[in-house]
Amino acid sequence: MKGSGLVAYYTVVRTGSRDEYEPGKSGFAHFFEHMMFRGTEKFPADVYNDMVNEMGVDANAYTTDDYTCYTSVVSTDNLEKVMELESDRFQNLSYQKAPFQTEAGAVYGEYRKNVVNPWAVAHEAMMDMAFDKHTYQHTTMGFEADIKMMPEQYEYSLSFFQRYYRPDNCVLLLAGDFDSAAAQKMIQKYYGEWKPGYQAPPVAAEPAQNGERVKAIDYDGQTLPLVWVSYKGKAYNAADKMVVAAFLLGDLAFGENSEIYKKLVIEESKVQFIGADFGFNRDPKLYDIYSMVRSESDIDYVIEQIDATAAKFREELVSAEALENLKKRNRYGYLMDLDTPGSVADALARFIALTGNIDTVNQLYKTMQQITPEDVREAARTFLVKERRNIIKLKGVQS
Amino acid sequence: MKNWFFVFLLIPVLGACQIKSEQMVLLKIKEDPTISFRLLFKVGSQNDPQGKEGLAALTAEMISDAGSAEDSYEEVLAKLYPMAAGIGSSVDKEMTVISGRTHKDNLAAYYQLLSNALLKPAFAEKDFARIKDNTLSYLKKNLRYSQDEELGKEVLSSFIFEGTPYAHPEEGLVSSVESITLEDVRDFYKTNYTRANLMVGLAGGFDDDLVEKLEKDLASLPQGTPSAVPAPQPTPLKGTSVKIVSKGAPATAISFGFPINALRGDRDFYALALATSWLGEHRNSFSHLYQVIRETRGLNYGDYAYVEHFPNGGRRQFPPPNVARRRAIFQIWIRPVPNEAKVFAFRAALRELQHLVDRGMSAEDFEMTRKFLRNYNLHYAPTTMMKLGYAMDDRFYGIKDGHWKRYAEMLDELTLEDVNAALRKHFSYQNLKAVFITDASQVEELKATLIGNTPSPISYSSPKPEEVLDEDKVISTFPLSISAGDITVEEVDTVFQ
Repeated sequence: MKGSGLVAYYTVVRTGSRDEYEPGKSGFAHFFEHMMFRGTEKFPADVYNDMVNEMGVDANAYTTDDYTCYTSVVSTDNLEKVMELESDRFQNLSYQKAPFQTEAGAVYGEYRKNVVNPWAVAHEAMMDMAFDKHTYQHTTMGFEADIKMMPEQYEYSLSFFQRYYRPDNCVLLLAGDFDSAAAQKMIQKYYGEWKPGYQAPPVAAEPAQNGERVKAIDYDGQTLPLVWVSYKGKAYNAADKMVVAAFLLGDLAFGENSEIYKKLVIEESKVQFIGADFGFNRDPKLYDIYSMVRSESDIDYVIEQIDATAAKFREELVSAEALENLKKRNRYGYLMDLDTPGSVADALARFIALTGNIDTVNQLYKTMQQITPEDVREAARTFLVKERRNIIKLKGVQS
Repeated sequence: MKNWFFVFLLIPVLGACQIKSEQMVLLKIKEDPTISFRLLFKVGSQNDPQGKEGLAALTAEMISDAGSAEDSYEEVLAKLYPMAAGIGSSVDKEMTVISGRTHKDNLAAYYQLLSNALLKPAFAEKDFARIKDNTLSYLKKNLRYSQDEELGKEVLSSFIFEGTPYAHPEEGLVSSVESITLEDVRDFYKTNYTRANLMVGLAGGFDDDLVEKLEKDLASLPQGTPSAVPAPQPTPLKGTSVKIVSKGAPATAISFGFPINALRGDRDFYALALATSWLGEHRNSFSHLYQVIRETRGLNYGDYAYVEHFPNGGRRQFPPPNVARRRAIFQIWIRPVPNEAKVFAFRAALRELQHLVDRGMSAEDFEMTRKFLRNYNLHYAPTTMMKLGYAMDDRFYGIKDGHWKRYAEMLDELTLEDVNAALRKHFSYQNLKAVFITDASQVEELKATLIGNTPSPISYSSPKPEEVLDEDKVISTFPLSISAGDITVEEVDTVFQ
């Protein structure tokens, strides 16, 4: 990384679509991400753009369920200039109503480009079905009705910035080729005056699910059928063995080296693929298993196989060798990804958003080393149960 | 480019009839704990026999995503699993790459799997059925129904290159893929996976023993003769032709362009690349089209322009290497716009192109773009694997000192006059092909508007500055010269059939 001449300069805002608790405001964290490129009094949008362009910064941003991330990869000699710009927009963002409304059009355009994808349709339906109270009920894109109404939310957008874009809710993440002592001084200089004032949103807790939920939906186009099975999970905590064991369980039971993968993808060729994501979230979210099935007549068969796999992991112990192989895979996979300033920052951003620091990564891998086959079975007994289960079956209507 | 942190080594090869040194690209980076492999064959979808389109792609997948004589596919996956490694393949018009990356701790075991995959493919029936089915489902379902933007770009490429070996998607056509047999795959492999077609790329923390072993093992490929497909000669365009793909679509995706005669390495290429960066830098607000269509008017998510192939642009910030071609197209990509704004957006982009060709870049924009690219180009090949891919492309294009070095020199050397002269020579806003992917309900009205050169006014739900509204009037009547005979309509169900 030294000698690359590049620095990844990320600002992680610990606010995502999870924080959109007010009715009618879904999708706002993402929309607001767009507004952050609309300038300040000192550096209006066109000046900001010209400066970023002149420096050839690879600048972007993205929003997720739990956080919003502003990413810049910049040549080392431009680090201070970028810090000046970034610190200014986070403290002094200022935009008028008309550009705000125009940007709402671009966001609706983003929704339109996504909505032709059957996975996006299934995802939206899953979140809506699985959650009643918690804001995870809507996707990061938001409900379409709310996106349509965004041009009317100018006043609200100002309060959104005041409440969430505060130093006590943001983490600066620098990775790459730079002098860290000098960078810390610069940070003091440019961010020193930024006033705390974060107001944590009152996000409602989701009550325990008390029975399976199933929904069949139609996709207006042709697609192979999709099966999406999600179990209610647990909030991220690197020291919590059950969280880490569940993370491993997803891969062991449904990953590329699992029995069900071999059976359905390779042996029987009943599905185009099957995969799982038992990921990390700030609040309890979903442990997802998804599959693209080759024939509609096999949808229920695939669900039965997922069910049987869950039962097997509840009853039997996974082999020590399989568990060890997965731990090895995770270590090598994580390390091999750390090959550019940008990829280092990418690998850390979610962890920083969930906990506010990077120590959690070491804790996670420490806990992971301690996980036993018994822990994995316990995680299966805890999470892979019918009361926590949600199923979306999606079929193309024109097939 | 400054700050290259690798040394470029050419290691001479011992022995005759083995792999020649000019076929080896070695980037040794001692401190890199990983090793990257790219085994490139100069054979691609242009080599697909007629009626067997998609054969090159299926063959590559039968190497990267299937079993070998030593291990079944299941066993391959199980062995790769703890290494967090994989074997990948990519097929473009002119080249096929089998690639992978491993941590050096796992080198011996990984190398065995990679060399078995390439040199001893099993070509098992079961793997073949699975891979073929995946390809058919991609063509029939995924491409036609779930990614209108990629569909638009694929149809445009096919439209521009019709009648040439570049005309079909790398994945093939539905009917041709259906007709491909395992025997076809075996024959294609035997004829094309040869030493004559091979370029070996190796990068990262490898040692000389690995180079020797690789040379020795690859020498077992047949010598063969280099594949000889003449560079495609698309029919010169006269006027504007339009293809409309009719389907159920919530919005309209638009792509348009024309073939150009400038390739990486050519002076004119860099002039055009510079101007195209200003007009439409990929997924960057630097793009002028983005400013006009998205930023000022909020009509869509983005608008970009290209002088080189850029596959899967919706999912990438920078293009992958090893999609090098002997014939390129210039194209403009307008991300889905509301159906009622489709002709307006098309006219807006066309008008910007006209201004660029007729008036040239301004001195100010030219200087700004040079500054932008001097730093932005640093982002293109951040990883060892990407650097290796670019170095291999340099061989394809015959750029001795490397594309990025040449690009940097060109940014210093080129004058505004050079750029504007290249624009006048290579670009046109009158002779082009355009593709609209739109809803069935829009087709007749779209045809009538294009043929009749009917105004396409626009309205907004939010206030816009007076100068924008004035410009809108000009855009909405921007002259179109398209006759009924220049428009074809295709139902989505028959696209790439």
